[in-house]
Amino acid sequence: MKNKFAIFVMCLLVLCSCKEEQVDYQSNDCKRQPAFIPSIGFDPNRSAFSTSERKIMGLSLLQINFKGDTSNGGRKIYQHPSWKTAGWLGPIQVDPFGNCFVSPVPVISTINNPVTKQNIIYKVDAATGEMKPFVELPVTDSLSSTNPYGILGFAYLCESNTLYVSTVQGSNRQQEKGIIYAIDAQNGKITDKVENRDALGMGISYISGSRQLYFGSARTPDLYAVSLSNKGKFNGQPQHQFSIASLGPRGDDKVRRIKFDKSGQMQVIAIEFHFNLTAPAEKQESIYYFVWSDEEKKWLRQ
Amino acid sequence: MKLFFCVFILAIVLIISCTNGTVNNTAGNKYDEDVLQSVIAGADSLKTFDFINNRIEGIKKTLQQAMPVLLCADSLNAAQKMAEQIALTDSAFTSNVRNTKTQLPYRNEIFGVYPARESDLVNTKGANNLADCYRVEMYNYPLNLTTIGIANIKQQHLLAVSTMEQAQPDIPLYLKNLAIKIAVESPEVQKAYGIKPAEKEALMASTKTSLNRTRCERSRHLCVAPTFVKDGKALWAIVDLTDYKLVGVRWTNTGTTGPANAITERKLQDDKVTACFCEKETALEKDDWKMNYILTSSDGLRIAQVSFKGKPVLQSAKLVDWHVSYSGTDGFGYSDAVGCPYFSQAAVIAFEPPKLMALKDDNNNITGFALEQVFRSEQWPTPCNYNYRQRFEFYKDGRFRVAAASIGRGCGNDGTYRPVFRIAFAAEQNNFSEWDGSNWNNWQQEKWQLQQATTVYTTEGYQYKLTDNTGAGYLMQPGNGNFKDGGRGDNAFVYITQNKSAVDEGEADLVTIGPCCNTDYHQGPEKFIEPAPDNIQNKKLVLWYVAQLKNDDSKGREYCWAESVLENGVYVTKAYPCFAGPMFIPASLTSKRAY
Repeated sequence: MKNKFAIFVMCLLVLCSCKEEQVDYQSNDCKRQPAFIPSIGFDPNRSAFSTSERKIMGLSLLQINFKGDTSNGGRKIYQHPSWKTAGWLGPIQVDPFGNCFVSPVPVISTINNPVTKQNIIYKVDAATGEMKPFVELPVTDSLSSTNPYGILGFAYLCESNTLYVSTVQGSNRQQEKGIIYAIDAQNGKITDKVENRDALGMGISYISGSRQLYFGSARTPDLYAVSLSNKGKFNGQPQHQFSIASLGPRGDDKVRRIKFDKSGQMQVIAIEFHFNLTAPAEKQESIYYFVWSDEEKKWLRQ
Repeated sequence: MKLFFCVFILAIVLIISCTNGTVNNTAGNKYDEDVLQSVIAGADSLKTFDFINNRIEGIKKTLQQAMPVLLCADSLNAAQKMAEQIALTDSAFTSNVRNTKTQLPYRNEIFGVYPARESDLVNTKGANNLADCYRVEMYNYPLNLTTIGIANIKQQHLLAVSTMEQAQPDIPLYLKNLAIKIAVESPEVQKAYGIKPAEKEALMASTKTSLNRTRCERSRHLCVAPTFVKDGKALWAIVDLTDYKLVGVRWTNTGTTGPANAITERKLQDDKVTACFCEKETALEKDDWKMNYILTSSDGLRIAQVSFKGKPVLQSAKLVDWHVSYSGTDGFGYSDAVGCPYFSQAAVIAFEPPKLMALKDDNNNITGFALEQVFRSEQWPTPCNYNYRQRFEFYKDGRFRVAAASIGRGCGNDGTYRPVFRIAFAAEQNNFSEWDGSNWNNWQQEKWQLQQATTVYTTEGYQYKLTDNTGAGYLMQPGNGNFKDGGRGDNAFVYITQNKSAVDEGEADLVTIGPCCNTDYHQGPEKFIEPAPDNIQNKKLVLWYVAQLKNDDSKGREYCWAESVLENGVYVTKAYPCFAGPMFIPASLTSKRAY
């Protein structure tokens, strides 16, 4: 009888654990605008962070003018003095509390972005707007001048407040040494990692019935996914999803950004990337859309 | 002629490959043999085929017509021909056959006229009988643009017109055969294949298709890849049907699960340059000169262990940075490093191998050789893209020159280019002195100086002397518009620093050494002088040379500039390089001859 009861309990636990994985979220959008924005005279509803202003190094806050107002080129720009202290920046991630995470990415040269400083996550405080180092990821022992990059991508899991950070520091043409870290966004502690993966763009979706961190390889036009637990840890090894090879005008673009809409459609933004510092004046970017086929259990291009 | 190079240089261009007989002496990574053996056809070594001439003449004649469009060269039936004519009388379909500003004709060609499909009629109005409708596809070569028209031959008008940028329609049989002929007749293909392949060998049933789809991402030209299979491997010959030339060849494994990944223009170039010149040092021996060279991550082409007649001359020489500033916008510009295409700190990359070329005097006598490397932005010569040329010249009499040029185009006509050369001499005990008009003044400590209008030179044009206690060494002649290469003077900062064995001050690959926009001596090398200059008496020395070159786009005075012009219906680049760099003359020569 005792055995039967134990089996019953175990089955219940298994069922519960399976049930736990059947998450039903439609999207993973929990970011909130930082509280400091109104204090500098900006309208949070018309403002957004940017790290891609051609002549402004670091982080900027842009406010788009009301329709029809063309003053100041149609927009207003704010930069806190601390926002340019880390050189040129790349990925941006805002959390549910309005804190903003950014990381350096060199543009054209390393003069403002020394190789040794490319593995630092900075946090812009939601209340004050001040930017300070948040986490210094471990620096690889194989730093070299041939790879000027470090952190390249961010993603955020709202359920567990986990910040996912991809770094390619230390990788070279022969060896893929990148790491995807899972970091507790509250205290900055590393909670998990996937090693030997050079990832560029990342995004989170629940579309296939479980939490998945999708990421594009920085080395090839391939997109992978790895399952996540409700604590934000990695479950198993990344699985290949699809390739965008031969698509677009160049055919070997890499996935720079991954976004999901509320219906679960995946938007993939792809760019030219070869681990060098070329910066075409004409933006080389292609956008592709994919939908999940429950029937075929794979992503299909729209 | 002036547009390109100096007068002395004759273009005997030799594409240096990994297997051209030079010795590769760096061990290390193992490379894919197919990559090492691939060939990038050099632009200067193109074979002009006789069978192309008729085609070129046909293009020239067509461009003079009122409707400058090449008709489909494949055989069309009467209905298809009618559809073609309907399309060519439609103003929307022909809106891109000429440049709207100059009215000069673009090269356009009808690639195909096909029975329309149901999907072609989705956006058309009215009732149309599918059997009466044809799809007319036209390709615009210079814009890399496809125009598609849906013609109803019964109603005698065009139902719809659409265009696709950076897209190419399927090529007609005529061009397919031409591509195969270019491939078969190219010496590079014949050499790689072992024998001249027959044209039908590109049509082997096992390959399913005779032409592999490929891309010329950089030139944005129409390219296809006739592929020849032999011993279980496929030889890709990338053919450019805009310029009717071979781009290059590379073997791939055919595999058992399907076609190999496409070999494209960029992949062919970047893989070859990386495997052969970025990760391997190449030994070179010529005209009593001996050296090794390698492409660096961010310091351009680096030569090292340079000797002449067995005597060490240079420890190394390289091009550390290009500082580009624009006077129109304060503090606007770039610090461009030049180097390798993959895994590098280069903003402007090499995608052709280094080239060896002969140097000739006014009487056409060969006086030495040059080793030259080109670095380019992908979209050059469009605005804010760059092209830099680095050149080392070695003469039979022991002279040598370290030079470089910008070929624009940059972000404006108010730019100043400042290339930063690092030249490390091999002699262990050197002294450096400057000509003051009557004597050689010895420099006691590390120091910098600017070449300017008041600078005095010896009657032969020498400004500095770098010699040992026995008087052996070199005299330096800066760029002063005196090298017959179109250079207008370097206005150079010269820095002398001690080459310390215990401290690396730039011998290894240097990160960006200075900011874009300093107009004074703060170009980077001063970091190795200030705040406490070292003594340089009887020391091993490094000479840093930073030329200052102001660009110019005024007609007839172009300098550090490039522009695209329409020629025979396609865009060609006119280049106006500004060469800079010092010449070094052995002290032993100066008593015998005046340069």
